[in-house]
Amino acid sequence: MRRTISSSMFSPLLRKKLFDHLASILFVSAVFIVLLAVGVNREKNDREKRHELIEMMTKLQNVNLGSPMQKSLLRETLDVFYPSEKARNDSIMQSIDAYRTEQYTNKVYKTGGAPEGLSWLGTADLAGMYLSFVFVYVLVLIVSYYAVQTFALFSFIQYKQQKSSYLLCAFRQFWLIVEKIRRGDIPAKEAGRCAVLVLQACCRGGVLLVLFAPAYIIIYSLKSTADTEPWVFMVVLAVVSNGLLINYAHKFYTFLLAESRKGYVETAAVKGLNHSYEWNVQGGIALRSLLHWKKYFPLHVLQQVYSNARYQYIPTMKQYASFLISGLVIIEMALNIQGHLCYELLQDILFERYEMALVIMFGIFLVVKGTEIIVDCWFARESAKYENRT
Amino acid sequence: MTAVMTDISRILQQRKDIRWLSFWFLGMIVVWIWDALFLDPLSYELVQAAIFNTFFGAGAAVAAALGLGWGGALLLYFLENGKKRFFYLPILFMVNLIRSVPQIIGLLIGYIILSFWMDYGVLQSAAGQTLWMACVIGLLCSLEIMDLIAERIAYYKKSDYFHAMQCCGMKESRIINVEILWKSSSAHLVHKSVSLFGDSIFLQCSIGFIISVGLSNDVSLTNFPVTLGSLLAKLDSKQDILAVGSALLDPSYISHLFFQHLQGVSVAALIVFTLLCIYHIADGLIHSYDL
Repeated sequence: MRRTISSSMFSPLLRKKLFDHLASILFVSAVFIVLLAVGVNREKNDREKRHELIEMMTKLQNVNLGSPMQKSLLRETLDVFYPSEKARNDSIMQSIDAYRTEQYTNKVYKTGGAPEGLSWLGTADLAGMYLSFVFVYVLVLIVSYYAVQTFALFSFIQYKQQKSSYLLCAFRQFWLIVEKIRRGDIPAKEAGRCAVLVLQACCRGGVLLVLFAPAYIIIYSLKSTADTEPWVFMVVLAVVSNGLLINYAHKFYTFLLAESRKGYVETAAVKGLNHSYEWNVQGGIALRSLLHWKKYFPLHVLQQVYSNARYQYIPTMKQYASFLISGLVIIEMALNIQGHLCYELLQDILFERYEMALVIMFGIFLVVKGTEIIVDCWFARESAKYENRT
Repeated sequence: MTAVMTDISRILQQRKDIRWLSFWFLGMIVVWIWDALFLDPLSYELVQAAIFNTFFGAGAAVAAALGLGWGGALLLYFLENGKKRFFYLPILFMVNLIRSVPQIIGLLIGYIILSFWMDYGVLQSAAGQTLWMACVIGLLCSLEIMDLIAERIAYYKKSDYFHAMQCCGMKESRIINVEILWKSSSAHLVHKSVSLFGDSIFLQCSIGFIISVGLSNDVSLTNFPVTLGSLLAKLDSKQDILAVGSALLDPSYISHLFFQHLQGVSVAALIVFTLLCIYHIADGLIHSYDL
């Protein structure tokens, strides 16, 4: 039986997809190796040349670059000689400052300092950071898979219960109040109801604002009140922020909606399968089933609707993985904590250590590719089940 | 007057997209007036410039995504159907490769290229830099347009619609470009463009923030056009956002946020509120046009 499943799973389509993935990994590896071997050396030479120019400027006779006035004079001189390249002149002045600081702070210039670029020690440190990044990524992926489905199912059940938005209800109440005032009545009851609805809408709006807020806004809002460093905070933030949860829950919700409009749902209801969407009533939906890790709605049409929607949702996990990585990179960069992979990436780009930056980017690419391969295998397995190939 | 009000209220109740578009405009106008009254003139000008640059960049990114996506999808379609596998496979391979690059990494690569160019005196103008970053965002987002167009063509090819038009002697390119995409899929494309506009704003703000927080040593920040993200990364804006946390612990401080910490708070509010409204506008379009 096991052999049947595995052989049917590796359909020609999956084999082709796996071949594509492996080919793209090999292609990108080759590009990275070439970039490391050729491009970075050229960049080093360019940088040395630029350093020579900056070094020459710092050694100009009778010019003390520690003095702000003389620095301004040099800047104005550059502007006179190169009037159309103000940005470049600006960069040169900044590079001079950076160069002068580097002379005192860079480990390379100190006795026994480690060489720049790739080294065994640096690579081992990087491997540790990479593993912790992958761990957080996998954790976020699992938690958000659960959260997306729960959120979408909750919205779908609310839609089936025909609950309209608080804001719309408040708007209707407002018109009732206007009508009553026009008739000369006192709309006390309606005004109270309208106030409650507006309050509910505000609470919901607050939650939505958090769900849509980019991670860095939440991080800076909470920095003064909470410890934003632990990885648990990072996981929670990665799940809820950057609009990821809400957007993918909406995607799952549209799959549920499209599925619920198909003919088999009505047929199943006519044949006697439960189809009430009320909470915790006989023939309705148990809240416990919704919150359970494995969503299970026995003898209810929602079970089939959910299963089919979940099947369609699986391929979108590839796109989700790519977005999630973007979110994690933003969070790690915004948190600015030393020892995180993306903080290192930022530092490497800042100090022009492009070999290290390339290695980190390649590592992140491998994470996305790994996820894509797993999702493709998972989808092929589910397809085999649906097409009765098992 | 009452009839007009009733009509407006009916439209607002029925059309979620128009309702949220109105909220968005209303919210923007409220923030604009509030900032004009209580924000110092220098910061007010900065906020205005940031809004303009961000929306201009996002609009350009959507235009680039539409152009690249439309062109890419048609190129792939005609190469595949013209049995030109020699060209089709490498292009498809590259498209799938771009798909595997997280957007923010793609943007960082775009930024590195831009900073190289700026070092060598290329792309010095603010508009040029905004357009370059918009093109990078457009390239990364164009895959969604490509997928949508391929999906729409496949959908119509399954029905008799496509073959019937071919029998009438219509050219394949006209059937696809005019009949399928322009006349029958414009609502889908508008919906996708609205979602991409939101994605572009998010990506632009994020890259602006990251560059300003972590990468400002290499190329002077004054060289880059200010965006909502880069404005948020300024020290005074960061202080303003930190004050939001203080207000959570001490609610009496909330009133200070809207006067003393206005720059950061209004920039953060504009970003989040815009993303929220665009999501609802896109969702409303799905319901309005049964997409």
